[in-house]
Amino acid sequence: MEQQTLSQAPPPSSAPPKNWLVESILVTIFCCLPFGIAGIVFASQVNSKWAVADYNGALQASKEAAKWTKIGFFVSIGCWVLYLIAVFALGLGGFWMTSRSLNQ
Amino acid sequence: MDKKALTQFILVTIAVIVLSLLYFFYPAATNRFYPTCFFHSITGYDCPGCGSQRAASALLHGKITAALDYNILFVLLIPFVFYAAFVFSWNVFSRKKIQQHIFYSPVFVKILLCLVLAFWIFRNIPAGPFIWLKA
Repeated sequence: MEQQTLSQAPPPSSAPPKNWLVESILVTIFCCLPFGIAGIVFASQVNSKWAVADYNGALQASKEAAKWTKIGFFVSIGCWVLYLIAVFALGLGGFWMTSRSLNQ
Repeated sequence: MDKKALTQFILVTIAVIVLSLLYFFYPAATNRFYPTCFFHSITGYDCPGCGSQRAASALLHGKITAALDYNILFVLLIPFVFYAAFVFSWNVFSRKKIQQHIFYSPVFVKILLCLVLAFWIFRNIPAGPFIWLKA
C-alpha cells in the first residue's frame, strides 16, 4: 500500500510536500542533535527534488524529514521528562535550591 | 475551519506562553534544573543549539547582546520562526491559504544548512574571534 502511494506522482501544479524545515530548525536550536540536522538535510532534498520535478523523490524526502524531526522531538521530550523525574523524585531538588542560592 | 490545525494552534500557543513565563522568571543561566545538551555533556563541545535556553531567557529580558553571545544562530533564526508562526496562524483563521515561501526555496535551505554546520565547527575553535561564538 505504501508502495502505491509512493509511485503516484502528484500533479505538478500542486504544492510541494511538507518539508518539516521549521520543525527541524526548532529541534536543532533546542538541542537534540543530530536529528535536527538530518531533518534540515531532508528538507533541502524535498525542495531541490520538487524543483527538478522529481515528485516521488520529494515525497520520500518529506517522509524522511518527518521521521527524523519526530525522533528528535520525542527523544528531546523524553529526556526532559527523565531529567525532571531525576531532579524532583530523586531528591536533587535540595541540591538545585542550594546551587541556585549560591549562584544568585 | 480545520479542527486539527486549530488544536495545534491552541496547544502551541499554550506551550509558548508557559515556556516563556518559565524562562522569564527562572533564567536558564542561573537555574540548574534545566537539562543540559547531551552532545555537550558527552563530548565537551558545543552543538549548534548550545546556549539557546540561556539566549531565550536573555531575549525575554530584552538583553539582545547577551543573547547573541550565548547563541547567535538562535537569535538569527527567531525571526524565521515568527514568520512560520505567522503563516501557520494565518492559515488557521483565514480561508485564503498562504504558503511558507522562504522555507520552500531550495537556496534558502542550502544556505541554512551550511550556516548551521559552519556555526557548529567555528564555535568550537578556541581561538581568535571564534571565542565569541561559544555558548
